[in-house]
Amino acid sequence: MREITPRSPIAILLIVIVIGYAAILFIAPLVAVVQGAFAGGLEPILNTFRDPSVVHAFQVTLVLSGAAVAINAILGLTTAWVLTRHRFRGRKLFDTLVDIPFVFSPVIAGYAMIVLFGRDGWLAPPLVPIVFALPGILLAKVFVSLPFVVREVQPVLQTIAPEQEEAAATIGAGSFTTFRRVILPEIRTALLYGVVLTFARAIGEFGAVAVVSGNIEGYTETATSYVYRALNDRSTVGAYSVSVTLCLLSIGILVLMSSLRRRLNEQER
Amino acid sequence: MIRYSHILSLLTFLLVVSAFAPIQAQDAPAPVNLTLAGYAVPREAYGDIIPLFQQYWQEQTGQQVIVLESYQASGAQSRAVAGGFEADIVALSIEPDVTRLVDAGLISEDWKSETPYDGFVTRSLVVLAVRPGNPLGITGWGGLANENIQVITPDPATSGGAQWNILAAYGAARHGAAEGFSADDTGAEAFLRAVAANIEVLDRDGRESFLTFERGIGDVAITYENEVLGGQLVGGQYDLIIPQSTILIENPVAVVDTYVDLHGTREVAEAFVQFLFAADAQRAFANHGFRPVNPTVGAEYGLVDEGTPGAVTPNTTITFAPVDDLFTIEEFGGWREARAAFFGDEGLFTRIIAEVQGQ
Amino acid sequence: MTEFRLSAPIEREQAAVRRSRKPSYGFLGLRAVALGYLIAFVLVPLIVVQVQGLRFGFTEFWASVTRPEAISAVTLSVYTSAVMALINTVIGTLTAFVLVRYRFPGKSILNTVIDLPFAIPTLVTGVMLVLLYGPQTVVGGFLNNQLGIRVLFAVPGIILALLVVGYPFVIRTVQPVLLQFEMNQSEAAFTIGAGAWTTFRRVIFPAIRPAVVTGLLLSFARSLGEFGSVIVVAGNIPFRSQTGTVYVYTQVEAGNLQAASSVSMVLLIIAFVVTLGVDRLLRRNTHA
Repeated sequence: MREITPRSPIAILLIVIVIGYAAILFIAPLVAVVQGAFAGGLEPILNTFRDPSVVHAFQVTLVLSGAAVAINAILGLTTAWVLTRHRFRGRKLFDTLVDIPFVFSPVIAGYAMIVLFGRDGWLAPPLVPIVFALPGILLAKVFVSLPFVVREVQPVLQTIAPEQEEAAATIGAGSFTTFRRVILPEIRTALLYGVVLTFARAIGEFGAVAVVSGNIEGYTETATSYVYRALNDRSTVGAYSVSVTLCLLSIGILVLMSSLRRRLNEQER
Repeated sequence: MIRYSHILSLLTFLLVVSAFAPIQAQDAPAPVNLTLAGYAVPREAYGDIIPLFQQYWQEQTGQQVIVLESYQASGAQSRAVAGGFEADIVALSIEPDVTRLVDAGLISEDWKSETPYDGFVTRSLVVLAVRPGNPLGITGWGGLANENIQVITPDPATSGGAQWNILAAYGAARHGAAEGFSADDTGAEAFLRAVAANIEVLDRDGRESFLTFERGIGDVAITYENEVLGGQLVGGQYDLIIPQSTILIENPVAVVDTYVDLHGTREVAEAFVQFLFAADAQRAFANHGFRPVNPTVGAEYGLVDEGTPGAVTPNTTITFAPVDDLFTIEEFGGWREARAAFFGDEGLFTRIIAEVQGQ
Repeated sequence: MTEFRLSAPIEREQAAVRRSRKPSYGFLGLRAVALGYLIAFVLVPLIVVQVQGLRFGFTEFWASVTRPEAISAVTLSVYTSAVMALINTVIGTLTAFVLVRYRFPGKSILNTVIDLPFAIPTLVTGVMLVLLYGPQTVVGGFLNNQLGIRVLFAVPGIILALLVVGYPFVIRTVQPVLLQFEMNQSEAAFTIGAGAWTTFRRVIFPAIRPAVVTGLLLSFARSLGEFGSVIVVAGNIPFRSQTGTVYVYTQVEAGNLQAASSVSMVLLIIAFVVTLGVDRLLRRNTHA
């Protein structure tokens, strides 16, 4: 469809509706939270970030989300590959499994971890503490953000003809070289897009983390758990300024997403 | 335009950080770590007490104590500890949440005898909070049953405090403190039904529930004296109403024996719990609106006579008013009886909520 | 890559990649890694929940999912998600159309911020909504006092939160289809004289219909499981403002794990039946 300059009043009305909806739905609340954070000036915000438990919460969030991204990128890529290139019994079932974290209540996923690794759990005692410690948070983040890399990479892999790989293999390229030279260039935009989505989801996770972390301040507390705690502490500036920081992080992620989306669209043409 | 290589280097950075940076608890090189699992409400009081204890312990032993704190709804906290959250000390809202840990084999049977005052570290009352100037003229329990009154209270399924609230309302009505309802079980049940129909929001813990009220929802909150006094201290605009008849809240604290032995922290954990009963800690609790269990400190807040000065100055704006008719959990034959009768899948309150909200 | 030592499966995978000159080993190794990953991270938790839900037998499972509180919580989830999906499908299709069709100032900004609800932590979404629509704020106060609409801690608040969370789905599924859509001459001729609405209905909509339905189902399924934003804005009153996921959370916190597991299985099954069922229906229609 070609882009045109709107002339009719209906077209202009449609544009107004579309922009107005987005504005009311989430732009206005975003403005409200920024305003709420700056209500008392800059000093309370700076004080929030001088609180070592806030710094620590961000550290935990970023490092564990980074680790979740690493796990889901590498294993997700492998999974996407196996699900598109291999034919085996039960493939459909495993393909369905990928979607489950997307629709599953994260709270119950967190609780399943306690059943597995908690005191008297099925797999207790684990070698290192898992639930109510950092590994549990990592597992929770991996779970909730699992579908993204697989689902972004899969359709692109389907469009690559296996002949290219075979051709590469016949001229003596090893499979890792084939992967790096032939496949990776094709899927890298989709992979990065998946990675960005994974990272966003992992940073924002709250439900599963709330159950498995024990919310120990300065230890297992994440940035989102801090927001929840600060609200209950009547420390509204703290809650809002950490929220705004998370939003800024989101906007950074967003800019990445939109530039990647552009690449993805170009690739499809 | 963001270059692909930039993204890649950012990701590589993240991966490197996550692979190599060990995350440590803050100020990790500490000699001893103590984990405190508390219910949601006394958080600020512990914020005052912990530094006092750290100083005390440093003076006594030369050892530095790091206290890791976690606060959530009492029931949730108790279940987390039972499920493997290795807290050294639990400070919960209601005794059954400690009993669960006793049943799980984590706390020894005789925990109550290990501390003064039967294991209870603070007291409070179930009270009502209304909008400034009490525009609806609510003076006691009876006012909650009127039509078009919006009531805020937490959910007894998750919140220990909510169970206090429901029991207070029922018990007070049975004592004839709810005008318009007969002073017996039939009247009390009818009263509870009328209140339940007026409940507007049922939050998961006491603090969240009171914050909902602070945000402007509801006409009256069933809450605790310490919540109202504590909120007023930080500028909350609402009036405290102490009903003529209400329940005495007693909050337990206990050392989690299994975990302190596992961590080798028994000595410091027991010292911390004992410290909570000393005058200064009790004053800190009182300054946040809790009724102290220590009678000497109670005296400083108008409960009895005189006290001795210490490191914590009593807040003179807080005085604890007497209550005409104060009953305890024994009114219902103890917690085991009360919980079976009121809460859980077949409890009276669960049935009433299903009846009045379920149309 | 070899300097990363994250966990054993990755090393196995690298070994598999290296060894795959002998195709059979590498092939199977790669498959083992992928399936192991899905089994460990998805299937095992799923089994745990299933076992917990059924641990006192099917009768008990049935009893906990047919409790009036549970039924009404699940119904509220389905209802609010459905309302959300319908609103967002209409507006989302419109937004995608406007974004593709018209040139207007601020277009590229709008195109970027559409993904914002994907990126913002949903808990923060809830916080933002409380800040804007809370009864003490200008907007919330106006709605409450002048119009008598209570947004927060009531059903409208839940729908609002879901609207934000589900906003990008339809737009992002429909937009690429519209971008590739070409109105050819005959279609153009066909629509001469017909109004814009007819053109849309007869020509454009059939082409984008699969994408619209996919977006609708995705957003519906996603919001059935939504928790972070709903927990902040929902009132948690059984029968009135307690959604399925919040009910599950309350049951977990209340120690009733069997009920929590059972109800979350039901939510999961609904999500799958609806998405798969409608997907199949759609496919049959397009083939016919």
